[in-house]
Amino acid sequence: MAFFKLLSTIYSKAAPFPDKIPTGMKPIIRLFYSSIYFGNQISINSSEKLKSGFSPIHKPTGLQKSSYFFVVSWTRWFSSSEDAVLSDPKTSDGMTVDDIVSKKWPILDENDGDWKSHAASIAQSIQLIKKRLQWRKMMVRSEQLSMALEKPDLWNDPIYASRVSREHGRLMGKMREVNGFEQELLELIDLIKLAREENDVELELESISAMLNMRKKAKEKELKALLAGENDPCSCYVEVQAGAGGTESMDWASMVLNMYISWAKRRGYDVMIVDEMHGEIAGIKHATIKVDGEFSFGFAKAEVGVHRLVRISPFDTGKRRHTSFAAVAVIPILGNETSCFQIKESDLRIERFRASGAGGQHVNTTESAVRIVHIPTGISATCQNERSQHQNKAAAMSVLQSRLDQLEMARQAQMNSEHTRSLTDISWGNQIRTYVLHPYRMVKDLRTNYEVSDPDSVLGGDLDGFILSFLSCALDNLEEKDSST
Amino acid sequence: MSRLRLPLLSSASTTLRRRRSPRSSYSSGAVITSSSASHHTPPLKLQSPLFLRPLSHSASPSALLSFRRWAESLARSSAADLTFDGGPSSSELIREISWLLQDATSQDGDTFLLRTDLEDLYRLWRQRIEERRPFQYIVGCQHWRDLVLAVSEGVLIPRPETEEIVNLAARVEGLQDGMWADLGTGSGAIAIAIARMLGENGKVVATDLSEMAVEVAQFNVGRYKLENKVEIRQGSWFEPLQDLQGKLSGLVSNPPYIPSSHIHGLQAEVGRHEPSLALDGGENGTDHLLRLCEGSISSLKPGGFFAFETNGDKQSEQIVDFMTTQWSNSFHDIKIEADFAGIKRFVTGFRR
Ligand SMILES: C[S@@+](CC[C@H](N)C(=O)[O-])C[C@H]1O[C@@H](n2cnc3c(N)ncnc32)[C@H](O)[C@@H]1O
Repeated sequence: MAFFKLLSTIYSKAAPFPDKIPTGMKPIIRLFYSSIYFGNQISINSSEKLKSGFSPIHKPTGLQKSSYFFVVSWTRWFSSSEDAVLSDPKTSDGMTVDDIVSKKWPILDENDGDWKSHAASIAQSIQLIKKRLQWRKMMVRSEQLSMALEKPDLWNDPIYASRVSREHGRLMGKMREVNGFEQELLELIDLIKLAREENDVELELESISAMLNMRKKAKEKELKALLAGENDPCSCYVEVQAGAGGTESMDWASMVLNMYISWAKRRGYDVMIVDEMHGEIAGIKHATIKVDGEFSFGFAKAEVGVHRLVRISPFDTGKRRHTSFAAVAVIPILGNETSCFQIKESDLRIERFRASGAGGQHVNTTESAVRIVHIPTGISATCQNERSQHQNKAAAMSVLQSRLDQLEMARQAQMNSEHTRSLTDISWGNQIRTYVLHPYRMVKDLRTNYEVSDPDSVLGGDLDGFILSFLSCALDNLEEKDSST
Repeated sequence: MSRLRLPLLSSASTTLRRRRSPRSSYSSGAVITSSSASHHTPPLKLQSPLFLRPLSHSASPSALLSFRRWAESLARSSAADLTFDGGPSSSELIREISWLLQDATSQDGDTFLLRTDLEDLYRLWRQRIEERRPFQYIVGCQHWRDLVLAVSEGVLIPRPETEEIVNLAARVEGLQDGMWADLGTGSGAIAIAIARMLGENGKVVATDLSEMAVEVAQFNVGRYKLENKVEIRQGSWFEPLQDLQGKLSGLVSNPPYIPSSHIHGLQAEVGRHEPSLALDGGENGTDHLLRLCEGSISSLKPGGFFAFETNGDKQSEQIVDFMTTQWSNSFHDIKIEADFAGIKRFVTGFRR
């Protein structure tokens, strides 16, 4: 953590950068440092270009006006090169996004055409987006990755190399996008100021409306920044496990399972039950479903933990109040290319549930469950909901792959403490939410205090409020912790 | 594509996925009269599998939900009586209910379209529990390997053990473009799976004595559009293969192998409903297997491969014994392979 602190101080000093690299730094920091330095040089050049680009059209005629936009977008194209990513964009009079926020311009309604209010709102969004993306960590990480990419022996390990270059590309893409957005805002501010100086009402109005547009886009980007994790775009498995307490809990587990099935269907995901064990009287002991579709992991990971139900039990003839628990785990399904765990065929033990006795022509059963055990780790996966053994085996194999991938990710994250810690760890986690059906009706998230008074809608799959409030809370807390270290 | 039905169909959250792929290739081949009103058609007219019938009925969600509740409670209350002879457990039955609904229904907005009427669903489920009618006959299909095969009374329901025969055949090198034979093909399962992994010039001849089996196998071959790769012939063992003497690259079979005396003690789903022609292997169970071994001498070409399924362990050893003592000059590399349960289930080898 001290490492981060050091880097962030360097970074904040980097704007009016000292002309000497402080001595006594580790080489890795030295490299990082020089790269910031270099990055800033480039962006200075491009802002000079910007200024000089304006001088010939200082007194615009009607015809030339549209070329302002051309110039602005042209300079943006060139200044948002990879090297410029690490720089802090500024207006022509040296104002950064942080400066705008600290001016505390009042943020009015969108329909109030005040540009300062738009600018303040956009700047605030940019700050939030950066916070959610864990901007500083992202910069450190991408710097480490660029260094790794420069090593000449990198491609000796092609799997590692492609992972590094994929992650690097992903981070760079995100940073470039935010930087571009930042720059767009500052350039619009420049334009508005210029238009005012020139008394060019038309240009001013055009710029303000462009800014309003940005303000709307910024809200979308805020949301998108909640799902910026490497595996967030993946599909996932959701596993539900009944807590102690017999039928009562098993019934609750099946309610929880149905809640996720409905939620997934509302979001347009494909859902499939992979593995399911029924209770003797009602409900399920546990179940695994596959939720197929973009970002299903990113959203569903917010649901990891223990869910608690309080109600009058339908199974209790004495009509007493009962508390039941169900645990939820979520595992991302990495694509084939990104799978990080290589399974050796010889490490597997494949068990098929067979009828006892002679088998073959003697027996007719629709039970064709397959369990695959990965012997070295003891991790296993079972599937019995496909209708042939062949397919149960294929389905169990992909669950196993995902479980092993998750284990491997956890191991790598531990080894590499700089790596953004994933929100979910492999355990079932703590109690996260309470659903009360009696004596009053309420669902409350214990992590965010987000609360809803209609349990039926939640159990019917209306979970987005819970999920989004958790994701934003989780990211905001994480960032706070970092900056305080 | 997998897709879940509404949760209401899953009172115990057993909503399931529906497979669509081979259905699109459904062609109502000339052999098959597929009609939805064919409960009373003569026994040799194959009724098309439930999941292929038209969506000509409908039901309200609540009516379906109460069917499901009823079926589940019947399953839970009778499972104890069924398991004594190796019958299904309650969780197997509950899964079957999901599959039955998966095959019988399709969701269209708030209403459910059905491929048979609700009354028929009740009748079918009662048959399942009270008569022990095999689930696969009820829905008219068996999922086997990556195939969905039509099955019907009079035809053996392919077993998961038999999936392995296809893997054994797949491991053989250099015979992918030759002529293969599947004797006693039943639903056509082995023949179809092998045909799908053969080379461009590879072909399969599949035979069966039973007219019903021939009909069903032909239907399945048509559904997988393999008419040009799989030829179905009717007749006893090698009799329909006269023209292929000494030409076969591969010969596979899962012949009837249960000793006659065991037939009456079989699990009700098997003993009461599956054809004894498909099960009864004579006094020791080896009558047909020995015929097959003998016949493969003249039908396999040199280097040709064979794989037979047996009753397991002792029977496999018996067959190997027989082949190595009686016909040691004709075969080499004779091996026993185990099934997934560790039972020595298959005998394989090559023609010298
Ligand atoms: C155990 S079943 C196997 C069916 C199919 N091959 C499978 O594995 O699912 C045996 C098959 O052999 C057929 N069969 C019985 N006697 C026969 C004979 N003499 N000639 C040809 N086929 C015969 C039966 O009709 C039945 O379809």
